[in-house]
Amino acid sequence: MPADTPRRIAVRKRKHVNRRDFLRRVGWGGVGATALVVGAGRAGAATPPASTYPDWIPASPKPPKRGGVLTRASAWDPPVIDPRLTQSVGLFQFAGLTSNRLVRHPFSDEAAGPSDLTLKGDLAESWTASPDHRVWTFKLRQGVKWQRVPPLNGRDLVAADVKYCFEAYAREGVQAFTFQEIEGMETPDKYTLRVHLHTSNVLFPQNLAEPVAVIFAREVLEEDGDLKKRMPGTGPYILKEHTRKVRVVLQRNPDYFDKGRPYVDEYVILSTPDAATRLAAFRTGQSDIIWLASPSEVETVRKTNPAIVVQSYHNTLAPFGLALAQDRPPFNDVRVRRAVSMAIDRQRQVDTVYEGHGIAGWGVPYIYYQDKAPTVKDLGPWWQYRPEEAKRLLAEAGHPRGFETTLFYYEYFPQMTSQVQLVQQELKKNLNIDVKITKLDYTTYYGRYVEGKWDGMSWGFQSGHAVGLDERTYHYMHSKSTKNFFRVNDPVIDELTTKLRQTPDRAEQRALTRKIVDREFDQVLRMWMPYDNGFLVFQPHMRNVAAGALRRTDGYGSPTLARSWIDK
Amino acid sequence: MYKYVIRRLLFALPVLLLSSLIVFGLMRVMPGDALVALMGESGNVGQRELAKLRKDLGLDRPYHEQYLIWVWQMVSLNPGDSIFTNEPIAVALKKSIPVTLELATLAMVLGLVIAIPIGVLSATRQDTPSDYVGRVVAVSGLSLPDFWLGTLVITFAAIWFHWIPPIGYVTFWESPWRNLQQFLLPAAVLGFRLSAATMRMTRSTLLEVLREDYVRTAWAKGLEGRIVVYKHALKNALIPVVTIVGGQMATLLAGAVVVETIFALPGMGRLTVEAILFRDYPVVQTNVMLVAATLVTLNLLVDLTYAWLDPRIRYG
Repeated sequence: MPADTPRRIAVRKRKHVNRRDFLRRVGWGGVGATALVVGAGRAGAATPPASTYPDWIPASPKPPKRGGVLTRASAWDPPVIDPRLTQSVGLFQFAGLTSNRLVRHPFSDEAAGPSDLTLKGDLAESWTASPDHRVWTFKLRQGVKWQRVPPLNGRDLVAADVKYCFEAYAREGVQAFTFQEIEGMETPDKYTLRVHLHTSNVLFPQNLAEPVAVIFAREVLEEDGDLKKRMPGTGPYILKEHTRKVRVVLQRNPDYFDKGRPYVDEYVILSTPDAATRLAAFRTGQSDIIWLASPSEVETVRKTNPAIVVQSYHNTLAPFGLALAQDRPPFNDVRVRRAVSMAIDRQRQVDTVYEGHGIAGWGVPYIYYQDKAPTVKDLGPWWQYRPEEAKRLLAEAGHPRGFETTLFYYEYFPQMTSQVQLVQQELKKNLNIDVKITKLDYTTYYGRYVEGKWDGMSWGFQSGHAVGLDERTYHYMHSKSTKNFFRVNDPVIDELTTKLRQTPDRAEQRALTRKIVDREFDQVLRMWMPYDNGFLVFQPHMRNVAAGALRRTDGYGSPTLARSWIDK
Repeated sequence: MYKYVIRRLLFALPVLLLSSLIVFGLMRVMPGDALVALMGESGNVGQRELAKLRKDLGLDRPYHEQYLIWVWQMVSLNPGDSIFTNEPIAVALKKSIPVTLELATLAMVLGLVIAIPIGVLSATRQDTPSDYVGRVVAVSGLSLPDFWLGTLVITFAAIWFHWIPPIGYVTFWESPWRNLQQFLLPAAVLGFRLSAATMRMTRSTLLEVLREDYVRTAWAKGLEGRIVVYKHALKNALIPVVTIVGGQMATLLAGAVVVETIFALPGMGRLTVEAILFRDYPVVQTNVMLVAATLVTLNLLVDLTYAWLDPRIRYG
């Protein structure tokens, strides 16, 4: 046999490597490889202060150029494209480009800064309210045409289209709660829509500016029975292709009412579920925009792509926090809630989990009640890390030896697990509360969470798409709202949120919102947790892509891209 | 031979039936359902409305009724529609099967092209540096998880070569070059794992066969080494290798889930995982049954290959 032939034995003797030699060689190889990996890691770990990047990128002063293809590798893939059935970011990363709303927030080239919240007309040219704010009249822009695709074939948009759409939203689906506020509608002429509300609501137009309130085509719903296959709208882009798990292709609408816009010919969204692949796509120029969570990630990308443009994003709210079963013991006792809150070191989470580039956590966007983002100190006494005081308060509430409880969550992003574990450690160390953690898959978590019958705690959320004041106060905190996931049941909050809807004066609105927030913090009704700020990173040739305060350009803030252009 | 095949096919029926019961039962035991997941991003759908939707989709019927309806759909080759996307499952499969098939085939080819020569080299040069290198590669292939290797490959390809496979799947017929660019790296990642096990098996069985008397006789006759190894020894050494490769198909399909996700390929793996996460019962059930049927068929084909490799094997 060959292994035993004399020639082979001679060759083997010459080339023989004994096990010791082999292990030594492999060992040195391993040391080299480890050094390489550690070196690469160190490069990424050199974290600069987050403030080195601007939080606002003003519009380019240069005249915009037409043409080009904008591409983005996206984590999200729309399950269906029917806006009545989902508010998924997968859909609204482009639905705001194929369709319009009645009103909108300013684009980045119109806004004075990231916090500019002035409402602008989208399909509506103007809007007025009756003195009691129960009747709202919208004058529609004339000459707006539906896209030149069947079954609309470029016909005019009229008020009856909007009426039909709002009625459909109210009838069924995920937007029913918002649109069931409408008592009735009339169209006195082709371009006027009058909306009668059940009760006064000065914030009603804000709800219509939410990215999900897009106007869809009645013909499609009537012909298909749903909106799952086609999405013709009045927006700057026509949906040319939607292949699930592959791509969404949007093509410039030549008949868009905002003449000359959009500037980019085609916008391609590539379904890319893996974060490392999205990053690699950006690095290699296959993607023009990317969202990065931490300063170290930005620095790592800058090493290979030094010309990138970075916008340091600053969230105005945190969508996640500890939701407590506050309708039953022990969390129905405000002292327990306060004790738990004081036993958690939020600043530590910001510093470690989010590398200092995060917010302490609050639920109502701060821009509605103050100018600057709150720090932990601004959140009131029960939100400071005071373990001794927490212990005393818990003992006073009848739990001197702590208690056992449960916490279930779904890992929306990896940092969340670190936060959950930090909370578990701190509650054990400071209050002797044993928290049994259960990590669930999305569907199980979601089903259990929204059903609202769970005990103990959950790492809860409020929907991410909404930024309007009405949505963030009345819709999410009023005891009768179906969106009140944190199970808030506080008569003072009910009264204040209702009153806010009847207060037209901006200064008074701010004062009332402040009261709502103070009450929420004082009673620890929703125990918000720190959240990342992140960075929007663009290829150097992108113009007018900066995100406003409310939404990122790559997600619900997609309409911004109607004003973006490629400088090549 | 025919009798054997028919008998094996008959044996496959209870296997498939059992698989159908298990997957149907497991999906019903899991909490949550597709409608809850679909409404997931919004959270303001009333229980009454959800109940109505469940009724429309037949999810409120007793389990045995749901099971029988589904079995009938499978038998009549009409697996129905996805609850989550409303798309006919047959259409979704028509799009995703070719992707996974192409990936698995390329991975298999790459795996075998790497594994068998290195396995032979390793066996014929036992305890030499080339053997050690081959064994280290094999152990690495077995130890490195696909998700890690895939991530590493795509990250370093971007950093070092400023290139990654183009994202946004195109079929081979649309653009053969772009399609191959999209598949080569993922197939290499997937094939590396497959090659590791095959390489080790080739080496060990070949070593065993090389010590057989008939091989010694071949050497004694003065035959050329290449002829002895490839013509006399390797064919006999391949029987356990074929078994391993056949069995690796399941590993390949499991690995495809991860690799398809990393390289953004819209194959069966992604379809199934998404369907499981969103409790899309009909899609999960159909996909699992399809995989079960594929594995049963592959096992049968592997058994039939033995007779070709070793003429002494007869099926009665």
